[in-house]
Amino acid sequence: MTNQVGFIFDADSCIGCKACEVACRNENKTFDGVKWRRVTKISEDTFLSVSCNHCNNPECFRVCPENAFTKRYDGIVLIDSSLCNGCKICVEACPYNAPQFDPETNKVTKCQMCYPRQDQGLLPACVEACTTSALGLVDLETFVDPNAVPAIEGFPDIRITQPSIVFYPQRKKDRYFLNH
Amino acid sequence: MIDAAMEIFRNVCPRNCYGTCSMLSYVENGILTKVTGDPKHGYSKGHLCAKGYAYTQYVYNPYRLKYPVLQSPRGSGNWKRISWDEAYNIIARKILELHDRYGSNLALGYNKFSGNLGILHYATEGMFNSLGPHTKPAGNLCMGTGEQAIRDSFGGEFRNPAPEDMAEAKLVVLWGANPAVTNVHQMKFIYSALKKGGKLVVIDPLYTATAARADLYVQIRPGTDALLAHGIAKLLLEKKEGRDEPVHLPGWKAYKEFLKNKIDLDTVCQKTGITHEYIEKLAVLYDNCRPAATWAGFGIQRNNHGKESMKAIISLAALTGNIHVKGGGVYFAHDDINDFPLHLARFPEKKHPIIPRSRQINIANFAEEALQLTDPPLKFLWIASRNPLSQDQNLKGWQELIKNLELIVTVDLYMTETAKHSDIILPAASHFEEEDLLVGYWHHWLSFNEKAVAPYFEAKSDLKIARELTKKLNELSPGFSNFPYDREPIDWIKMELTPKIKKRYGIGSYKDLLEGPRHRTDMEPESVAGENFSFFAGKKPAGSDEEKNYPYRLLSPQSLLRIHSQFSHVPWLRPEHEETVAVIGTTLAAKKEIKDGMKIKIYNEQGALTATAKTNEYLPEDTVVVEQGGKNPINQLIKINGGNNIPESTYFYDCYVNISKKEGAEA
Repeated sequence: MTNQVGFIFDADSCIGCKACEVACRNENKTFDGVKWRRVTKISEDTFLSVSCNHCNNPECFRVCPENAFTKRYDGIVLIDSSLCNGCKICVEACPYNAPQFDPETNKVTKCQMCYPRQDQGLLPACVEACTTSALGLVDLETFVDPNAVPAIEGFPDIRITQPSIVFYPQRKKDRYFLNH
Repeated sequence: MIDAAMEIFRNVCPRNCYGTCSMLSYVENGILTKVTGDPKHGYSKGHLCAKGYAYTQYVYNPYRLKYPVLQSPRGSGNWKRISWDEAYNIIARKILELHDRYGSNLALGYNKFSGNLGILHYATEGMFNSLGPHTKPAGNLCMGTGEQAIRDSFGGEFRNPAPEDMAEAKLVVLWGANPAVTNVHQMKFIYSALKKGGKLVVIDPLYTATAARADLYVQIRPGTDALLAHGIAKLLLEKKEGRDEPVHLPGWKAYKEFLKNKIDLDTVCQKTGITHEYIEKLAVLYDNCRPAATWAGFGIQRNNHGKESMKAIISLAALTGNIHVKGGGVYFAHDDINDFPLHLARFPEKKHPIIPRSRQINIANFAEEALQLTDPPLKFLWIASRNPLSQDQNLKGWQELIKNLELIVTVDLYMTETAKHSDIILPAASHFEEEDLLVGYWHHWLSFNEKAVAPYFEAKSDLKIARELTKKLNELSPGFSNFPYDREPIDWIKMELTPKIKKRYGIGSYKDLLEGPRHRTDMEPESVAGENFSFFAGKKPAGSDEEKNYPYRLLSPQSLLRIHSQFSHVPWLRPEHEETVAVIGTTLAAKKEIKDGMKIKIYNEQGALTATAKTNEYLPEDTVVVEQGGKNPINQLIKINGGNNIPESTYFYDCYVNISKKEGAEA
C-alpha cells in the first residue's frame, strides 16, 4: 500500500511564533545559516510555516545530477548528503526553498520530516512544538476534509511538484481601524 | 531521539514571562543537548516558545561570560580576568570601607528585579538584609499600577482565574494584551473557546499578531481605554436599566450615576477614535455572550491613565455579571508567590544600633532617586537579574549615577549594556546549572528546577555568590553578616515547602515535584472570589490629551524573540535586522517622504537614535513603534516627567518623539 505523509497548516491558527522553526534546529542541530523550516509573514494577517513539502513529484529528485534524493515508502523525500556535489541545482529548482546549502560542509541538507522520530511513533519536532496546533501531520492518502484547500495566497505554485501539504484558509473577520 | 547515555532533567524557564514553562532537558555526557516542553505541565502542555527551544545556544554561547572580570578604568573596555577570591576581596573590602566611613551599610544598594524569577534568586535580597540597613529598590516597574487597580477593585485581593478556564468562555476580550508574542501558550485555550462557538475580541492600538486572529479587532487611541470601557458600560446600562442591575455590589449606585451623568458617548467616540457603531458592537457582544473573560494586559497600564483604565475595564466585567463565573473573570496576574515563606526575600534584616531599617527607593525611578540620596550618598551598587541601561527609563540619570558610584558589581551571563558600565562582572549560572523552585504569576503551577549540568566554566548562582561573599565578609570582619552560608539550595527549597504549601499543591515533599509540576488545589470557588468587589467610583472621565512637546507617541513593546533584553546573543533567535527598526504608519511615512528600509532619526529632548524605517498601513499616524532591547536600546529616549510613585508601573508609553529622514538617506 502506498501512502503519503504530509503537513496540514491552519492559516487561521498560526501566530507566527517561530517555535516550529527553532524546535527544528533544536532537534536537528542545523548550521546557523541553514533553516529546514521557516516562518514568514506573508501579510499583516497571515503567517506561513514552510519546510520541505515532500512532494508527490519532487523537482529536487528530478534535477539532481548525483541522484542523491530518494522517496521513502511513506512519501518522505530524503537527501543522501554524502552523494551531494554542492551544485545547488536543487536549491534553484525547488519552489519552496526546501534544499538548504550548508557552507560549512559544501553540501545540501533539508527537512527529513524527522523520520527517525516518526519511526519511533513520535511527531516531527516542528509539529510537536506547535502550541496552537496550526501545524499538523496527516496521511494524505486517507485525509478528507471539505474545508481543506490545496494552497493559500502567498504559497508558491503547487502545480509542478504537488507538495504534500494542505491548508485551512482564514475565515472572514471584522476589523475597525482608526481613521488615519 | 533518546539513547541510553541520555539523562533527562526537569527544568523551568525562569524568565519574566506568563508561561513559567516546565521543560525537559536532555543531557549527554554532562552537556545539555536539547530541551523540550514538559507534557506534565498543564499550562504549556509539552510545548515551548521559540526562545525556549533555543536554550542550548543560551547556555553554550561564544559570548557567555566564563570568569569574573574587572574593568579598569570603568568604561574603558579594558577587562581582565580575576579569580573569584580576588573579586570577593575587592567587593568585601569596599563594603567594609564604606561601612567604616559612614557607620552603616546605607551607602550600599542593589538593583535587582526579574531576570530570573526563581525563589532562590532572592538570595541577593537575603544577602543585603544579612548586612543590616542598606538601600533597596521598592515597587514594581512592570505591573504595579495594574496590581493596585485590582486590589482597589477587589477589596485588597490580587488573584487571577486559572488561565486554562479561558477555554470555557463564550467571549474572550483581550485588551492591550498580545499573547501571540508574549504568552503563546494561552492561545490554545482561547482557540478552544472559539471551537466551541466563542468569540475573540482584541482591543489594541496596534494591529498585533493576536489582533490578526480575532473575530473582531478594534483599534483604539492609546491611553483611552477607560473611556471605551465606560462607553460600553453606558450603552449596556441603557439596555438593562431596571433589570439585572448588580445592585448588591458596593459602589453600584455611584458608578451608575457616573455613567449616566459624566459619560457622553460622542466624547468617547471622539477621544478613543472609535465609531458609535463599533462601541455598540462591543456592547452587544458583552451583553449576549456569557461568560466573558476579559484580559486586561500590561499594555493598558503603561501610561498615566493606566489605573483608571484597569478599574473601568474591571467594572465593565462586573456590570456584565462576569466576575463570579467560571470562564469569565478579569485576567491580569497574581501573587501566589507571596503565600510562600520566601525565606530569602524576607530574610530578617540584621539590627543596627541606630538605624531602624533600610531606606527604599523606587525601582521605577531608580537612577533619579538614587542620585538624590545623601547622608550617606549611594556609593556601591550591586546589579543582578537586571539590565537597567537597556530597560529603564531615564538612561541619562543612570549615566549620572554611574559617575557617583565607587564600585559597581553586575552579575550576569552576558556582557549587557549594564555590565559594560560595571567595575566587576560576576558570571551567573543559567537555570540549568542550579536548583530552584518556581511559581508563576499567570497560571497556578508549581515546578522544581533541577540542576541538569555543571555550571559553565566558573559561573555561579546568585545564592552561591551570596553564600561565598557573606562568608568572605565574616572572615574579614567577624559577625558582619548573619547569612546562613552553610545552608544548601535544597535546604532553602525544603523550607519553602511548609505544610500549608504542600497541602496547596498536593505534595508530600519536593521529591513529588521531580515527577512533574503540580497545580494549586485550593483555587477559590468562583462564587466566593470577588465578594469584596466594589465598582469604580469615577469622578471625571479620562482622556488622552497629554501635554507633549513632540508629535508622535512612542510605543516600545516586547519583541517576539527576546524578553526585554534577554536572548539577544542567541544565533537561532537573531532578528532579521540587527539594527533598531522603527515602525511608522504609511500616512506619516508619505508625509515625511520616508520609504521602507530608509534610515531615519528618532529624537526628543533625551537625545536621538538612528533606526531603519518599516512602514505599516495599520499603524495610526501619531504613533511610532520600536521594540525593546537590542544593541541601541530605545529606552535612551524615554524619561517619565517627575518619575513614577511607588508602587506605580513605569509609564513607558507616555513618551513622545519626532522623526525625520536622515540627511542623504535613500531607500
